[in-house]
Amino acid sequence: MKRVVSVSLGSSKRDHKVMTELLGEKFEIARVGTDGDFNRALELLQELDGKVDAIGLGGIDVYLFVKQKRYAIKDGLKLMNAVKITPVVDGSGLKNTLEREVVRILAEETGLLKKGSKVLMVSSVDRFGMAEAMAEMGCDMTFGDLIFTAGIPYPIRTVVELEEIANRTLPEFTQMPFHMLYPTGKKQDTQDDARIEKFASYYHDAEVIAGDFHLIRRFMPTGLKGQSILTNTTTAADVDFLRAKGAGTLVTTTPEYEGRSFGTNVMEAALLAVLGKPWEEITPQEYLDLLHRLNFKPRILNLKQ
Amino acid sequence: MATHAELTESLKAFMDSYNKNERLKIMNRDWNRTVVVKATDVESLHTLIVVDGVASLREGTSDQPDLTVISDSETLADMFYGDITPTEPYNNGTLRIMGSEDDIVRLDFISLMIWGE
Repeated sequence: MKRVVSVSLGSSKRDHKVMTELLGEKFEIARVGTDGDFNRALELLQELDGKVDAIGLGGIDVYLFVKQKRYAIKDGLKLMNAVKITPVVDGSGLKNTLEREVVRILAEETGLLKKGSKVLMVSSVDRFGMAEAMAEMGCDMTFGDLIFTAGIPYPIRTVVELEEIANRTLPEFTQMPFHMLYPTGKKQDTQDDARIEKFASYYHDAEVIAGDFHLIRRFMPTGLKGQSILTNTTTAADVDFLRAKGAGTLVTTTPEYEGRSFGTNVMEAALLAVLGKPWEEITPQEYLDLLHRLNFKPRILNLKQ
Repeated sequence: MATHAELTESLKAFMDSYNKNERLKIMNRDWNRTVVVKATDVESLHTLIVVDGVASLREGTSDQPDLTVISDSETLADMFYGDITPTEPYNNGTLRIMGSEDDIVRLDFISLMIWGE
């Protein structure tokens, strides 16, 4: 049996462990949250190093991809570098492949995404592949990176402008303490009432709300009118939360195990264990082929039933 | 070490670049803030004020700043001239900024939008 563990800076309330089978091999997949405690995450990673088959880093990104450019988040790298033996990933390699594929599936096989769909991406530099894929298919995009991450009331409307602003700011922002840019630990269990009041219209005006679930959740107002939510990590409680806010459909890019979907980092770690190759040697096409062999499909949940 | 006059010039360069950037003014239209800039090694105090997206500068301090930026004169001048970014001196403790984290991120953002690549 292979063991895959995701160490997350997120809330321990979301901890979960499942047994599953991937291509005939048994897997134990677990997620352990450290409630925003960076040092605890470092200790845990060192404890697990060499004892499990692959490790995912959750609640933090290590790499942000903007087209061909890659930016490394300083705090994320610190965590990654604490692991010396076991392969460790943050999900960014898989995201770029999987989430483009999910956009394609939603466009071709469902009516949830189409040309002209009004899409709010609460943050897009952490999933540039998804942002680019939706823009390429002609969705009416609002990239909310500045709005929700920095409180700046400026919607970015094109990938070109997103790329320009990202290339100006990410070299420095990635060097900042991560908690200044992203809700970690207990912040993930709360909402930002001031920004919800200020920026609710972006949610209300959208047909599809996409991106990182913690950000979507933190700024989500009440009174949604059946919008679709396209994200990755959700628990049963998150589904109830979305239903209460009035969301209509939940699409998660990673498959469901026992009522919840794991983060992309967990899935990438599992795929890494299946492939048995160093992360640096895996190509996007290999991930894509493996996803097809595993018959990975996005989970689509009607929240109105 | 930079002189008070050099610091004033660096802040004017920063303010002028900011005010010429229409997009940046739109981005900050709701960010009304008073920022005091204080050098630790020379007598030099300035107040940068942003109101309705437009920045202005005056010499001296302010009673109730939202942000106070403190460093040695050389670091401040380099920073406002865009020769260095605020992140490195901030992370290594050379630069201190007193204020809310959101405002610190915003000030850094403005600086990057003016001088960033």
